[in-house]
Amino acid sequence: MSAAGQPLLDVRGLETRFYTFAGVVNAVDGVSFTVGRGEILGLVGESGGGKSVIGFSILGLIDSPGKVDGGEILFDGDDLAGKSESELQRIRGREIAMVFQDPMTSLNPLQTIGQQMDEMLRLHSDLDGRARRARCIEMLNDVGISEAERRLKNYPHQFSGGMRQRVVIAIAMIAGPRLIIADEPTTALDVTIQSQILKLMRRQVRERDASMILITHDLAVVSQMADQIVVLYCGRVVEQGPKEALIRKPAHPYTQGLLGSIPKLHGRQARLTQIPGAVPDVRNLPKGCNFRERCPFAQARCAEEEPQQRALGAGRSVACHFPLEEGTEA
Amino acid sequence: MTAFLEVENLEQRFDVSGGPLDRLRFENGLPTMARRIVHAVNGVSFTIQRGEVLGLVGESGCGKSTVAKTIARIYRPTGGAIRIDGEDISQHDYRRMLPVRRKLQMIFQDPFASLNPRQRVRNIIMEPMLQHAEPGDKTVEKRALELLDRVGLRPEHGDRYPHQFSGGQRQRIGIARALSVNPQLVIADEPVSALDVSIQAQILNLMMDLRDEFGLSYLFITHDLSVVRHISDRIGVMYLGFMVETAPRDALFDAPQHPYTRALLSAAPAIDPDPDAEEEIELTGEVPNAFDLPSGCCFRTRCPFAFERCAQERPVLKEAASGHQVACHLLDEDSR
Repeated sequence: MSAAGQPLLDVRGLETRFYTFAGVVNAVDGVSFTVGRGEILGLVGESGGGKSVIGFSILGLIDSPGKVDGGEILFDGDDLAGKSESELQRIRGREIAMVFQDPMTSLNPLQTIGQQMDEMLRLHSDLDGRARRARCIEMLNDVGISEAERRLKNYPHQFSGGMRQRVVIAIAMIAGPRLIIADEPTTALDVTIQSQILKLMRRQVRERDASMILITHDLAVVSQMADQIVVLYCGRVVEQGPKEALIRKPAHPYTQGLLGSIPKLHGRQARLTQIPGAVPDVRNLPKGCNFRERCPFAQARCAEEEPQQRALGAGRSVACHFPLEEGTEA
Repeated sequence: MTAFLEVENLEQRFDVSGGPLDRLRFENGLPTMARRIVHAVNGVSFTIQRGEVLGLVGESGCGKSTVAKTIARIYRPTGGAIRIDGEDISQHDYRRMLPVRRKLQMIFQDPFASLNPRQRVRNIIMEPMLQHAEPGDKTVEKRALELLDRVGLRPEHGDRYPHQFSGGQRQRIGIARALSVNPQLVIADEPVSALDVSIQAQILNLMMDLRDEFGLSYLFITHDLSVVRHISDRIGVMYLGFMVETAPRDALFDAPQHPYTRALLSAAPAIDPDPDAEEEIELTGEVPNAFDLPSGCCFRTRCPFAFERCAQERPVLKEAASGHQVACHLLDEDSR
């Protein structure tokens, strides 16, 4: 079943916890969002927001002491949360692929990149050896690596950081996945290389009509890449909606604070608006709204009652008792 | 009035040849002892006035951190001069550097690695002062507590150890330590790169306030263009150990001249995309390695406008507009 109009990925009330000796960490605490077909969704937030854990949870990569404790992960209508490891192995790489932050550690240093690309096709396609090789060469050309035939025989250490990330993208794309989860794919790269890689990823996703979840701390990157944005704070979604509206008129004070914290590249402000304090300890979150201790608009109700997601119209929603008025410029 | 800091033709090379066996190479069957030299900084000149913030930007490997560490005399430069208040410190030994270090302090990138984990915060902040204080000087401790307060921490924090603090708080401790000896110049090497955005804004605001309060000059090293625009009065752009452009902040952002600066600016993701941005210059390829520099212009291998002269002759910084210097042959072509 893949009814048109149904989102490709529908995450409902996802809860991922880590049972550590120092206490239970609610890394992801009731997160819901959807990724439409052909859509790029940006997951943003600061460290500890739970954004990477969401990516790992979708792919079933959470190891003990962590556990996906609740919620549904509907991929094309099929719940991934209840799948066995062997079922998941057929989905990873073929249906959903992942691009990690550090291209240094996500490639096997002892195998040539040709072997690593070929492995994906051996596992996820019925092509014979010659066809697989042709496909690998084609894929390397696609991601902008010249002399692909010769490069297949190279090991990861023979590539620069940007080139390695191209190889990782080629491996992720080669089996034709419908969803790519990219976890901070350009954080380790320089600006000019970052811009090359982002363009490459967007083109690859669009050309193949795939969807992408882009996980990053960098709002500027998200604002250039994503169609939809989900803002996370302490394991919860504080705000989500289409990119333009969310960046231009944030409804949650945290989103507004984040946007104000970024120095503008064009034009200039005398002083950055800063969010006071620091992210609370996730093992010991305050009662009520997680953000209230840092929020300039907090009132008595914020300490009592946890705000629930509510719709704002135009595909937006916010979890705040006192969302910012329409027209509040960041 | 002379500038507080004058750097002239600074050159820093690192010999990474290793031992004799590492160096042994065979060329046409003959053994030779090859040397491997990293050309980290190749003749960089700039000045910083009192109270001025100079931002140095560039991508990894461009030598910006090496410039910072060489000026702080963590490294001894292999060439050129570093004048502080007119005094050339480029070849000073440890003992002669001590009085200079009262004028010049450094803030480091990684707040987890730059504080001694076994010292209490109070002692970390007092350490630079004790280098210069009379034995038994009671004001040192008092000043340490005042500084803690000034950077937004509480007096009782002085008794704790670095691991009890978050990244942003540790960076505040690093700033308090740098300020303890009342320096005139603070060299900040990527001081906010390791921090979350909301904390980054707190630290940038604090640094701006302190600059106004103490009349500090900053040499601010960063790879983040929006940060450098926010904090700097003047900006220098480095590439492969060369300074390719220096200009007042707004001139650099509004009218960048060097092709590399233009590419860098157009590649930077912005939350507020410039509506009338000029056409994007997309760079292909990657930075050449610093073992053997390209002949002529350092940027010609990636420059979309490179022509013959760029391979033959190394461009020098020339005044393109008032206070705006560019090292590029295209400028001569335009004016011809």
